[in-house]
Amino acid sequence: MNCTRRNFLIGGSTTLFLTGFLSKQSFGNIKKNNLVIISLRGGMDGLTAVPVLGDKRLKKLRRELILEQTLKLNSDFALHPKLEIFHQLWKENKAAFVHATNIPYTGRSHFDGQNLMETGGHVPYKEKTGWLGRGLLSSNIIGEGLAISLPMPLLLRGVPQNNNFFPSPDYVKTKLIDYIYDEFREDHNELIRSTFDTIKKRPISMQIATDSNDRNKLAKEAAKQLKDSSGPRVAVFELDGFDTHAAQGGVDGAHADELEEVNNIVEILHRNLGEVFNDTLIVTLTEFGRTIKQNGGYGTEHGYGSAILMAGGLLKKAQVYTDWPGLKKRELFEGRDLNSTIDARAVYNSAMAVCFNKDPEFLKREVFWGDNLPDLTSELFKV
Amino acid sequence: MYNSFYRKVGFGIGINDKIPADPLKWATDQLDEIPELLWTGWIPSEKEMRIKYGEWIYGDRKVLRKKYKNDKNAYRKAKDKLSIQTGERFFELNEHAIRHYQTKYSNQPVFERFWLFWGNHFAISEKDSLADFSTGPYQREIIRPNMIKTFEDMVQEVTRSWCMIHHLDNSESVGPNSKRGIESRDTINENHARELLELHTVSPEAGYTQDDVINLAYIMTGWGHKWNNKVLETGDVWFDQDKHQKGEKIVLGKKYKNEGKRELSKVIHDLSNHPQCIKFVSTKLCRHFITDNPTKDMVDPVIKAWTNSNGNLIKIHKAVIQQAYKNNNFTYKFQLPEVWIMQLSRIFDLNLPISSKKMNYEFKFEPSNRQEQLTWYLNEVGHSPYRPKQPNGWSDYEVDWISPELLLRRLWFASNEIPNHVKIENYSHGFMSLCLERNFDNHERMTSMIEDLKINKITKNDLEKIYGIICNLPWILKA
Repeated sequence: MNCTRRNFLIGGSTTLFLTGFLSKQSFGNIKKNNLVIISLRGGMDGLTAVPVLGDKRLKKLRRELILEQTLKLNSDFALHPKLEIFHQLWKENKAAFVHATNIPYTGRSHFDGQNLMETGGHVPYKEKTGWLGRGLLSSNIIGEGLAISLPMPLLLRGVPQNNNFFPSPDYVKTKLIDYIYDEFREDHNELIRSTFDTIKKRPISMQIATDSNDRNKLAKEAAKQLKDSSGPRVAVFELDGFDTHAAQGGVDGAHADELEEVNNIVEILHRNLGEVFNDTLIVTLTEFGRTIKQNGGYGTEHGYGSAILMAGGLLKKAQVYTDWPGLKKRELFEGRDLNSTIDARAVYNSAMAVCFNKDPEFLKREVFWGDNLPDLTSELFKV
Repeated sequence: MYNSFYRKVGFGIGINDKIPADPLKWATDQLDEIPELLWTGWIPSEKEMRIKYGEWIYGDRKVLRKKYKNDKNAYRKAKDKLSIQTGERFFELNEHAIRHYQTKYSNQPVFERFWLFWGNHFAISEKDSLADFSTGPYQREIIRPNMIKTFEDMVQEVTRSWCMIHHLDNSESVGPNSKRGIESRDTINENHARELLELHTVSPEAGYTQDDVINLAYIMTGWGHKWNNKVLETGDVWFDQDKHQKGEKIVLGKKYKNEGKRELSKVIHDLSNHPQCIKFVSTKLCRHFITDNPTKDMVDPVIKAWTNSNGNLIKIHKAVIQQAYKNNNFTYKFQLPEVWIMQLSRIFDLNLPISSKKMNYEFKFEPSNRQEQLTWYLNEVGHSPYRPKQPNGWSDYEVDWISPELLLRRLWFASNEIPNHVKIENYSHGFMSLCLERNFDNHERMTSMIEDLKINKITKNDLEKIYGIICNLPWILKA
């Protein structure tokens, strides 16, 4: 039994999805902009990732979580020391942050929150498709999509014919399908048939087991695929472990470990994409931020407002884009959380508009039911 | 034409099973009593496991994190050691073996299928270390004994179980006008109340509002684990009047007067017997066993059995079986990966799970590869039973289980792993034909597909192809 791959699956706690392939015929005349989403499950603490400078109240409430050696961004904000690549890219105008932002969800439940961060809706479990899937569909980016995971992630559902892939425990002889394929010909189940078709058409590279437990391998694989002009233009990573109710730590600790993983992904993408990094946009996604105050276990509780970390050459400039609500008790959401003053979905809608070459107004109607989401393309991105 | 019925409501007919004369009677006769657990290895109690859970979190949170505050590597090392000492990595493997031993050898496989159903209906999702310590015992001690009682009995017990309370954070819920609420300004946590309505009983179709959720959460305040410095959150569940919201509450239009711990029993009684709950759960049962989109004709008899018996689960289960039998030849159900593995193991007499002797654990070393194997398979085929990602459990819809990678994983399991579990005495064409004949109406086609491979004498090398093909045919993926 080959156990190393399992370590890859579990130990890595990272999952990658790729989709949005341009068809071979059409890619010639369209400039391919890549969109990379990194899902941060568990509730990413925006105030740990992008701390506000000189706030005495924050220092008082988070005595054990205060960061030293932060990387200064501007007079108001700094970066967690583990987010080095963002700091480096900031200097080249290729990193930016949206702060005091969240999806319009205040319930503090992970499951509801994660469901809504993926569907983009208002009522948990009501929508069955993801905002990214709907965005791809309405932008006519269908063709041969690819998700790197076992099931199809909710974020990507809603666009047909996605392929999916995840490094498997062993080489699977897909030629076995030839023996059974005909038996499905009469089958009422269209989905199984088309799924076997998809498997048969897989590139050979996807049919060979990768024998590594290196969690960075997914990022390298993503870079390789995104770089290919006929490859996917959407990649989704999943990280979990941001739910740090205890031992959250400051410079080191549970939250720092997770941020380091985000940093690794971006660093590997940057290194391996080369020139293509200039046509790429990386954005993070989380269900909520965390409470201002530390709790008895040196951690934080579920909160509301968080931050979006962004990198890539499609960013307009280095900036912390925020309508800062303040951290005084009366300025906090329900007296305990950083408030959210920007609907995170406006950022994602604008990001899709830029990467899929679509009008943000059009996408807003198709993907987010015409919700009141301001167009941020000219503020945040190169248009 | 009823061979698929044995898989539709069970795990197929094993080589040592007697072929039933009357399939319907065979199935309905299995539901009146709770079969004993057959596992001869260690079957720890829920309470025992909670003590282990307590040792694990106390050791980690209160001892190691403080001791190695400034040395992350030393902390990781010490945590690994603690994980071995407390059995943190072992218990789930043992639970999977107990579960699969049951589905492989039980004389009441149909009962076992319902056990899987209810465990998933009242799912404990992957959270904290629940799957490592408590989800398995919860399935055995909370779900299983209630399967011959009423639906309401089951909801009453599940809702007060330590596992569900911890899973859905009810211990964190404090009535704002309670003694504790006034002192600490703490408030309710709606998580458990919402899931009790949405997932466990009436479903959103009942049209409850946010006020209903809040009022139900008020009723549930006070029910939580008895916390102390040593056991932390692993203490027994009790009712803490000091956290309980005072005053009258209204849920789905019904008033519940202020009477402390008695409020919860009353509201669960009403929710469990609500027409919308009966319809929702009856439909879900039919969907699980019969087809993704059950018709009114299938669901109505189940609803009728439910109302006539005041929610007696034995009667309800029998009604579901009758519908599955009646509709056997007109419907199909895509089999979920774990059930598929269980079926293959029973039908082809595979060496899976390993024997209880080999599951021995000394709390000194990491579990062996062999001990981890079944759990590893379940994870690789995408269906680790005690680790659904959300409290709504694993999906019953085939669309969630058909993706290129998920189908490939089945090919991988059948062709690369099954050969390691076929007994040497079963390397023969005769054995294969016999197994197929007992379980599949079109076994002749399957046997001829094996013949087409032109294998004279079967060796281990041939098993890869034989099982890879046979186990992934449409009529074995479905029942």
